[in-house]
Amino acid sequence: MTLKDTYDAIIIGAGHNGLTLGAYLARSGLDVIVLERRHEEGGGLCSEEVTRAGFVHNMHANYHTFVDMAPPVADLDVRGHGIEYVRPEVQMASIFDDGTALTVHTDQEKTLASMARFNEEDAATFKRLYDEAHGFVDLLLGTLMYQPPLNVKELTKALGTFGVEDRSEFLSVKLRRETINQFLDRHFKDERIKAHLAFHGAVCSYTNDVQGLAIGYPLLVGKIDNWHLCLGGSHRLAHALWRDLAQHGGVMWSDAEVTSVIVDGNRAVGVRTADGIELKARKLVASTVSVEQTFLEFIEPSALSEEFTQDVKSKVAHKDWSLFSVHLAMNAFPDYIASEFDPDVNRAWVVNLGVDSPQRLNDDWVKIRKGQLVDPQPNAAVNSLYDPTDAPPGFSTGLLRQFAPFALADGGEGAWDDLGRWYGRKCIDAWRRYAPNLTDDTILDWSVFTPHDIARKLPNMVKGDWMMGEISLANMLDQRPLPELGQYRTPVEGLYMAGSTQHPHGFITFGPGYNALQVIADDLGIDKWWQQI
Amino acid sequence: MPDVYTGDWYEAVKEAINLAVAKIPNAPTDSFTIQVEIVGDGSSPYVPDDGVLKFLIRLEGGLCAWYREIEDDDPTVKLDYRFTGPATVFDEIAAAAADPIDAALSGAIKVRGDMRFLMRQAEMVQVLLEAYSQGVDTTWPKGRPPYEG
Repeated sequence: MTLKDTYDAIIIGAGHNGLTLGAYLARSGLDVIVLERRHEEGGGLCSEEVTRAGFVHNMHANYHTFVDMAPPVADLDVRGHGIEYVRPEVQMASIFDDGTALTVHTDQEKTLASMARFNEEDAATFKRLYDEAHGFVDLLLGTLMYQPPLNVKELTKALGTFGVEDRSEFLSVKLRRETINQFLDRHFKDERIKAHLAFHGAVCSYTNDVQGLAIGYPLLVGKIDNWHLCLGGSHRLAHALWRDLAQHGGVMWSDAEVTSVIVDGNRAVGVRTADGIELKARKLVASTVSVEQTFLEFIEPSALSEEFTQDVKSKVAHKDWSLFSVHLAMNAFPDYIASEFDPDVNRAWVVNLGVDSPQRLNDDWVKIRKGQLVDPQPNAAVNSLYDPTDAPPGFSTGLLRQFAPFALADGGEGAWDDLGRWYGRKCIDAWRRYAPNLTDDTILDWSVFTPHDIARKLPNMVKGDWMMGEISLANMLDQRPLPELGQYRTPVEGLYMAGSTQHPHGFITFGPGYNALQVIADDLGIDKWWQQI
Repeated sequence: MPDVYTGDWYEAVKEAINLAVAKIPNAPTDSFTIQVEIVGDGSSPYVPDDGVLKFLIRLEGGLCAWYREIEDDDPTVKLDYRFTGPATVFDEIAAAAADPIDAALSGAIKVRGDMRFLMRQAEMVQVLLEAYSQGVDTTWPKGRPPYEG
């Protein structure tokens, strides 16, 4: 590959948002280069053989919940570039300490039947909530996810004008003052059903005890059965996006660590890489990495106001918990004790272990926020149940995820290097209590990926922040990550923010890249061919 | 009283919209084009089971500047919104027997286009929808919704 001196658009970071933005711009006729610090594209779409050869583990992004909801999947012909998604029939389960289990299926009737075994009234409530949420999910996605964000006041005013509160059993303006716990307490009775629904929120990064997050909860329910697995590993999505970029003349350059954004006057005119190469940008530079990297490392302080720099230093909010992962190579599938209660639990892609009530989660959050480790009650995903290609025939992969602090009260984040294997063993032991067949004979190898590892591998995930910004009402919509950056533009002309720091948030949503595209298209007069109304 | 989906009915809807919008203080000045797609569903006697009734409405400053029925999508018209749904739902809305906001919230009518504008102009949207739904006294020669069965 021969580098040119100048490109129309330079994009920093080849995660799915950077590649998405790059592919759209390339399809729009711009000369695009996407620069990636790591040796490969993908960012959080990172699949590696970290246990044994032939066992593919998703190191970060495992759950693709916006497939066929996010416009880029069709616009960029993602499936046409060779990736295949599967939507597991048994999406998720919760196993409780009393030996019971609740299962969520793609078949709503089966989900309701499972819930009814715990509480029939709750099952009926869930049906109404799901049906209502599923009905307006398109509208909400169009309003809230795949558009540059509204202000929360504009939104609540509109909801008031349309009389949504009177029309809906579940949507209400007052949700912006409530926790998910409060929402669940108002509508559901059984603690185990509430625990499952709270856990679902937490896995989606919507912490159940944070005030205001109830506002987003109905949307989470609307896509509770839309979890997809990318066959062969999540990284294949990155390949698909890269192929689309390349087929339309764009370039992805790996091992290209950007160290500076070159600013001339108040305009971003290019970037400089760690090996001293300067690339010029005719039209724009877009950063998909962290706010801190972009404004505290890449740009000379003199190019920014002191007030803005201070805001970046003090007001960019990060999640107060992270994820501890154990990746396993196995020669068996888990056989849960709870399968005696509900055989479908053995087919569940993701299983939440032993969280019997929202209070259990609440107690964990208190400890985790203090930097303490909790007794593990991880969620366990067995991708091989639905992906026969991610392990050799007869074998399987496993992924345990445990909510955990980034910095430990005793020793900070560095302490993870000493404690990781020990805590990983505890997570495996917790899994075994529910699936005793997972002995040392069936678990062939395992590897941990700590919150500290997240930050080291993907430094844009500051402090192991896997959502690249706190999920809270104060950090939503046009306030994310700062009001000055909420519409993807920045104080530096021609410099845009287009990564998961932006609305809507992290996860494989494609939203930040897609929404930044809308703003860039407005600014540059690019025809929005993708808006096929 | 005009029959639904006739020239007289479209004209009456236009008039109802313009009368209603004229009463909105500070009505937005934006212009936009909406395509409505009413999909035959076997229950409505006004749209064939396998047919789609399509019409365009052009709003300028909130007022209806023009409308026209179309056979197929017109590539020369740049759409701002597309509303699509079953004929029974649209018929019930036109007969003021169903609420258009409910229809959108429940997903019965799919809305495509810039949702931010619709949210920011919620008051005008509300007025337009009410005018469409309740502003015309329509005759229903083949039966009035809601339909039986």
